[in-house]
Amino acid sequence: MRTLLIGVILAAVASAQWVNYPTPGLPRTQDGKPNLAAAPEPSFFGYSSGKWEGDTLVVQTVGFRDDSWADAGGSPLTASGKVTERFRRPNYGRLEIEITVDDPKAYTAPWTVKLNQRILLDSELLEFICVDNEKNRSHLVGK
Amino acid sequence: MTWHLARLAGLAAIVSGQWVHYVTPGIPRTPDGKPNLSAPAPRAPNGRPDLSGIWKAPNGKYLFNLAADLKPEEVPFQPWAAALFQQRQDNLAKDRPTGRCLPHGVPDQMGVPGYPFKIVQTPGLVVILYEEMTHFRQIFLDGRTLAKDLNPAWLGYSIGRWEGNTLAVETTGFNDQSWLDDPGHPHTAALRVVERFRRKDFGHMEIQITIDDSEAYTRSWTVTENFNLLPDTDLLENICENEKDFQHLVGK
Repeated sequence: MRTLLIGVILAAVASAQWVNYPTPGLPRTQDGKPNLAAAPEPSFFGYSSGKWEGDTLVVQTVGFRDDSWADAGGSPLTASGKVTERFRRPNYGRLEIEITVDDPKAYTAPWTVKLNQRILLDSELLEFICVDNEKNRSHLVGK
Repeated sequence: MTWHLARLAGLAAIVSGQWVHYVTPGIPRTPDGKPNLSAPAPRAPNGRPDLSGIWKAPNGKYLFNLAADLKPEEVPFQPWAAALFQQRQDNLAKDRPTGRCLPHGVPDQMGVPGYPFKIVQTPGLVVILYEEMTHFRQIFLDGRTLAKDLNPAWLGYSIGRWEGNTLAVETTGFNDQSWLDDPGHPHTAALRVVERFRRKDFGHMEIQITIDDSEAYTRSWTVTENFNLLPDTDLLENICENEKDFQHLVGK
């Protein structure tokens, strides 16, 4: 804690342009002070824990943001959502992921989809930075 | 500043979050249950030191000036690099990439004291997960070499090898956009960074960093940074929301 405070002071000295700049997303009390006793920030990826059931890895995730999208089309996912993923690798090159969305705020019953993924061999991830901030959005159209 | 406040907000999450008081497995402890951070560094099953854990810079010394241990006149700038550095100073470093949610680079991301990073070590691959902006690095220990013509990247391409108890990591293939530190020590795409990771004991790691960029500096230069293990906590999600900071920054 003391180290953090020293860090804050050092930061203020080194980059004065951010002094008194309100941190986005910081929970606050009614008088505007930081509310350090608030619940943690919900997150895009939530909080996941897993366990093995035989050859299947069962992962449960909660703690999503209330404004999440469950797919690119916009199926809602809310802070009440619980997602269960069951990962099974039936052979070397395939991965089945059975996904159950249980979100009583958005849906009247849990629903399940199954993804079939193929392994990518002799390749590697490339760096992707959403570098062109806000350069796409102005070109998108809606109604 | 925002980073550090964000970290304070992070403390709130630690106090009341998902994994409150969740005790990190495998940490040696004193009889009263506190982490024994001066215990010997752990070993991986293959006998190498295990660097795995959550690490944090103790302060912002090297973020605020990677050349903090050099006298200003000792920084071996090429003339154009000295001029660019001065220009960034004169402009209060307003155009620092992180102001627009663009990444820190190698090595300055590790030096951000407000955001820890997590090392996940396997025999053939070491992954570094950076809390800030949820970026990551992969360090390959599988014997591959660095290609000559790499698509330029913010965090480059890293390979590593063990030299005794030290993990020596070489990184090339950078773009010329990242800054070496917050004030803006520049580099070019010719940058080659060598990092030597040495876990001195359970709770302390030293990383010796050599900056080798003959286009920006007349000779290579080296700094040594120290990091502390953060026990009994975990990384938090951090997403940099576009362009909310930048409008508040001022320059000249």
